[in-house]
Amino acid sequence: MQITFEEVSHVYGVGTPFERLALQDVSINIPSGSFVGIIGQTGSGKSTLIQHVNGLLQPTKGTIRLGDVTVTPTRKLPHESRRNIGLVFQYPEHQLFEETVAKDVAFGPLNFDMPPEMAELRVREALEIVGLDYQEMKDRSPFLLSGGQMRRVAIAGVLAMQPKVLILDEPTAGLDPAGRKAILEAIYRIHREQSLTTLLVTHSMEEAARYADRLIVMAGGKVMLEGKPDEVFAQADTLRELALDVPETVSLISQLNRKLPEEQRLPSSVYREEELISHLLARISDRGER
Amino acid sequence: MLQNIAIGQYVPGTSFLHRADPRSKMLFIILFAILVFLANNVITYAILIAFTVMTVMLSRLSLAYILKSLRPVWILVLFTVILHVLITKGGEVYFQWGWFSIEEKGVTQAIFISLRVSLLVLVSSLLTLTTSPIDLTEGLERLLGPFGRIGVPVHEIALMMSIALRFIPTLMEETDKIIKAQTARGANFTSGNLIRRAQNLIPIVIPLFISAFRRAEELALAMEARGYRGGVGRTRLRTLTMSWRDGSIALAACVLLLVIGWWRT
Repeated sequence: MQITFEEVSHVYGVGTPFERLALQDVSINIPSGSFVGIIGQTGSGKSTLIQHVNGLLQPTKGTIRLGDVTVTPTRKLPHESRRNIGLVFQYPEHQLFEETVAKDVAFGPLNFDMPPEMAELRVREALEIVGLDYQEMKDRSPFLLSGGQMRRVAIAGVLAMQPKVLILDEPTAGLDPAGRKAILEAIYRIHREQSLTTLLVTHSMEEAARYADRLIVMAGGKVMLEGKPDEVFAQADTLRELALDVPETVSLISQLNRKLPEEQRLPSSVYREEELISHLLARISDRGER
Repeated sequence: MLQNIAIGQYVPGTSFLHRADPRSKMLFIILFAILVFLANNVITYAILIAFTVMTVMLSRLSLAYILKSLRPVWILVLFTVILHVLITKGGEVYFQWGWFSIEEKGVTQAIFISLRVSLLVLVSSLLTLTTSPIDLTEGLERLLGPFGRIGVPVHEIALMMSIALRFIPTLMEETDKIIKAQTARGANFTSGNLIRRAQNLIPIVIPLFISAFRRAEELALAMEARGYRGGVGRTRLRTLTMSWRDGSIALAACVLLLVIGWWRT
């Protein structure tokens, strides 16, 4: 589903002493099927931006197009459209409430009037996507699981609605490195398998570099940079000004390039860890043969 | 949606009211409550209304914001007005239809009661609006100090109160977040009959309770980790001092007391 923002602004607490401009004239275009990394410091407007995508917030000014639905300051997103847009909040395990894991995951599908047998099937699929065993987990209380498992159950609760757009607000916050990787890999897999449009909000440039095919860098409620990851990483100075860093792979490439003669420089498009490693290995073995 | 409810909310500022001592503000509110019940005619109420408006102006907060933030209270006021108009009988009959009638006493009672509640709520909401929770607790603790000698756990009461006040906005935010998260999963809180709606609250209430307990535990742990062990022998970073502002509040209180005493019938 294509997502378009046209000069969208959002003001919190209109008419109170706490009035605050959270988004300012944001115009972005997210093509269907892309994996977009949204990066920015705390308070840069990332969370406000993504809440507009599923109609939880309405723009104070501007227009948002979600597929063929249009949201304006006066026109709300219809309830049924919400099903197509899954939003996983920060610390989603804080929203668990049911007695069993299966019931909690089924909450979303049942809310959209899915027949119970079908919902059960969806629950099974969703739990498997996030790497949990359905038979083992379904009758357990979500409150007795480990932190990482709770997070997975909560994400499964959104996946079970089978959205076309998946939005994740720092899905790996507070997890250990292994847990982070497992969750992101699972998300990346269904992103490709079901050709979802995925928006990943993150602090980590490494995560963004690894999975995203487009990046949006935000600061002070505005979009500062937008484009393919290598284009964005090329603007290292701007990123540093925003107190963000380029991924280590990118800084390694630029350090190597400084030493290498012009014709042997590494291309900036091999910023993914594995790609960089295989690229470098290939070069080394090339030289060995010569 | 929930950000607009501001009971217990503190709005930082540097106005006269912000800088006055919390003790004088609290004492004044007690006196004001007595005055509101002493007032019993048009003149005394007019004086109190004028005084309240003046106090709001002294706080440099917009009256519209305060009124809006007290919305739940207005619903209550409206309810009492309706009850009084319909139930209290006596005096001249304004309107009669079968057993149903609106009479003079009902209308005057409705006006007086709603004025009393509104004035009280307005003035006391100014206390929390202009006093930071820390100042509020310290003021309360100092005011209740004498009761400590007869075994009242003054410090603990003050601490409980300040924690409660401190966490109202936090829990509001939390509620807002949970509502949003469940809405994103298709929950609908505005349709269906009463029982259905009550059931719809479960996905909000349970996570909210769990997070409140979690927060309480974390807070207790954090306080213990920093060596908190109750009020005995505890010193303060900032101590309260009275200034000319508190003198003028005392003066205003005396004047108000005399004026109301003189004009009431």
